[in-house]
Amino acid sequence: MADLQARMQTLSEEFTKFQNDLQEAVGSRQKLEAQRQENLGVQKEFGKLKADETIYKLIGPVLLKQDRTDAESTVNGRLEFITKEISRLESHIKDTQAKIEKKKSEIIQLQTSAQAAAAGGGKQAVKA
Amino acid sequence: MNRRMLTKEDEDGVGDEIEVRREDQDKINKFSRLHQHELSIEEELKLKNKEKEELDDITTELELADEEDIFPYKIGDAFFHVPLPHAQEMLGISAARVEEEITELEDKMGAIRDEMTQLKIELYARFGKTINLET
Repeated sequence: MADLQARMQTLSEEFTKFQNDLQEAVGSRQKLEAQRQENLGVQKEFGKLKADETIYKLIGPVLLKQDRTDAESTVNGRLEFITKEISRLESHIKDTQAKIEKKKSEIIQLQTSAQAAAAGGGKQAVKA
Repeated sequence: MNRRMLTKEDEDGVGDEIEVRREDQDKINKFSRLHQHELSIEEELKLKNKEKEELDDITTELELADEEDIFPYKIGDAFFHVPLPHAQEMLGISAARVEEEITELEDKMGAIRDEMTQLKIELYARFGKTINLET
């Protein structure tokens, strides 16, 4: 009986951990999406720039002139990285969701067998 | 799913329940308040350190800049064109200010942590295993 409780405790702890993992991953994914949108916006602006226009970057309180090619390659590189991270996270999210489903069925299985055992035990006591 | 903080064995091992006096409850409440302060100061410190890092970055960048250059310097919501030495001076003032704020926050943090440690000692002495003060 105590064995069953211990097993149930382990399963629910694992379940909670997976849920927390999922929450974290989804949060990170949302942050990345926001960054992606921001960088896409910058890229679009760069596309509209005429040859003689300057790009500035805000570092602390100072606007520093940026070299056009440097700025564009920085933004492009960042976008590439963000897109890669997003797809990595998405597969991690799918994996974690699968783990959660599996753990859920393990818990339900344990619950039903516990109930069956309790019912069986009860019947036995009545019989005696 | 698990609502028990102590297993059945632990609970039996503790023995009779210790009465929570008024002063004990006050200490517990104070501990909780201090912990909240600690968390909020940690957040502030994170922001200040980020600010300091940005100021350091731009200070370094400006050291490599042309003496003749004019820079747009943000003050509030507006930008003012300033020559290099002027910008560097203003950066220095901001950096010193942020450093001071960081030191202040760290001092406050130290005081809070000391108080929390003292309360922990007193509460654990009285309640032993039946109280959990780990953050």
